[in-house]
Amino acid sequence: MSASMSTSGAVRTPWRPRWLAVVGIGAVVTTALTVWLGLWVTPPDEVQGNLARLLYIHPAVATVALYWAGGVALLGSLLYLWPRTRSFFWDRLAASAVEVGAVFSALTLVTGSLWGRPVWGVWWTWDARLTSTALLLLLELGYLALRRVPADAHIRAKRCAVAAILIAIDVPIVHFSVDWWNTLHQSGTILDPGFNLHVHGSMLWTMLLSFVAFTLIFVWLLAMRYRIEVLQDAVGDQELEVSLSERWNEDAELVGVGGGSGAPGEDDGGGS
Amino acid sequence: MLHDAVLVAGKDLRIEARSRVALWQVVPFAILVLVLLAFAIGPDQASLRHAAPGIFWVALLFSTVLAIQRSVAVESGEGTRDGLRLSGIDPAGIFLGKAAAIGLQLLALQLILWAGVTFLFDVRVHVIWLAVVACLLATVGLACAGVLYGALSAGLRVRDTLLPLLVLPVLAPVLLAGSKVWQAALDNNVSSGTQWLKILIPFAVVYLVVGIVLYGPLQEAA
Amino acid sequence: MSYVDAGYIVAIGGSFLYGLGLFLRRRRWERALSVKESTPDERPAVAERP
Repeated sequence: MSASMSTSGAVRTPWRPRWLAVVGIGAVVTTALTVWLGLWVTPPDEVQGNLARLLYIHPAVATVALYWAGGVALLGSLLYLWPRTRSFFWDRLAASAVEVGAVFSALTLVTGSLWGRPVWGVWWTWDARLTSTALLLLLELGYLALRRVPADAHIRAKRCAVAAILIAIDVPIVHFSVDWWNTLHQSGTILDPGFNLHVHGSMLWTMLLSFVAFTLIFVWLLAMRYRIEVLQDAVGDQELEVSLSERWNEDAELVGVGGGSGAPGEDDGGGS
Repeated sequence: MLHDAVLVAGKDLRIEARSRVALWQVVPFAILVLVLLAFAIGPDQASLRHAAPGIFWVALLFSTVLAIQRSVAVESGEGTRDGLRLSGIDPAGIFLGKAAAIGLQLLALQLILWAGVTFLFDVRVHVIWLAVVACLLATVGLACAGVLYGALSAGLRVRDTLLPLLVLPVLAPVLLAGSKVWQAALDNNVSSGTQWLKILIPFAVVYLVVGIVLYGPLQEAA
Repeated sequence: MSYVDAGYIVAIGGSFLYGLGLFLRRRRWERALSVKESTPDERPAVAERP
């Protein structure tokens, strides 16, 4: 309630900040450069050949998913729960970071699989990193499900902040336990071949550039997602009514009057 | 705080004792999971015995979700949560009390499940103390994490579908470590078992501490 | 298509698609907001509901 009140003034003006445009252009340019350097300029690796070119994608995506998104989500949640810094800014930022993080976690898993298949011969291994990333994705989906539950803004914010902190506590435990599970139970040698890459020269620069590119992409996506969060709060309860009325109109168009207990209003007069 | 905890735990357990929901729904469900997983694995005695630790813990995890839902439902009546909040009981006390109530129920459930795997899968636990310690530690962790997530989903209309999604990934380390300790207890492999206890201990401690700290703000939010 | 190409396409294409989705979502919400603010009381669509 108070959230939408306090922000609606700022919401009304169209929001097209210049820095976001700069970030967006920067993201496109650095990504294009990364692709060019990664696919054409850098030499193939001695051990992995062309497969090493995934080095310019996968680690950067994973870093964004695990550290940037996770860090922002945790920081936002902690600062929201801390009474002195409590503000919906942090809550929205954390929620945005979780959603962007979920997307990047999924991308991490897919790009990792695409790398693992030719190198290890399997799409999936129960390696600690893979497994804990998969669990992180599931936990993030749980958070987003919790987030979608309609509730008072303060209540939802508090609940989600606690959930995010619990996730942050859980992931290291999962990582550690799966690591053990794996090393104690499998010989663990599948993972060894191919990961002794020699990163040097142009490869190193391209890799650093990829980190910059995906970080910029992350910032842009995060800002966009944040903006949507602000708009959603400003529109508020209207959402339900808007979608309901859309639904009624759809039903009216599709079914006409015959649609069960449908709306016998004016607009669906042409029924059976 | 401890006094409050005892009060809350006593209340929850008395409700359970009188309503018999745990007895007539959660326990049969746990045994049902045992039987269903046995169907999934097939009638071969050797493979069943091999899978028994995992089956035990999966059944326990699923039943934990039911027990949490039950513990939340007890508070979901009209104004019950407000009453609890207004009673002036320390949130940490409420947390500990509810966790203790769930924990005691889970312990009883584990006894039944233990008997179940012994009976159905012909499993003999060689290192009994190891299995018992694992159960005790896991119970603390499951109960604490469970109460926390129960409070998180309390008051939501969708909590019955949301709670498993939220809590089961979190409980995964217990499943992992618990199965391993049990495997070790079956195989008479003490050193491997005690190693896995090192995951159950931090899990229990972390969720105990986090619960005591976070239950207050969470309760305000429910 | 090699695994490498697929990896690049998935990572960059995936984040592009998500960004596009965000863009469309933002536009939708901005429209919803302008609808709300221009007609705060009428809500014509809702009013038709019995």
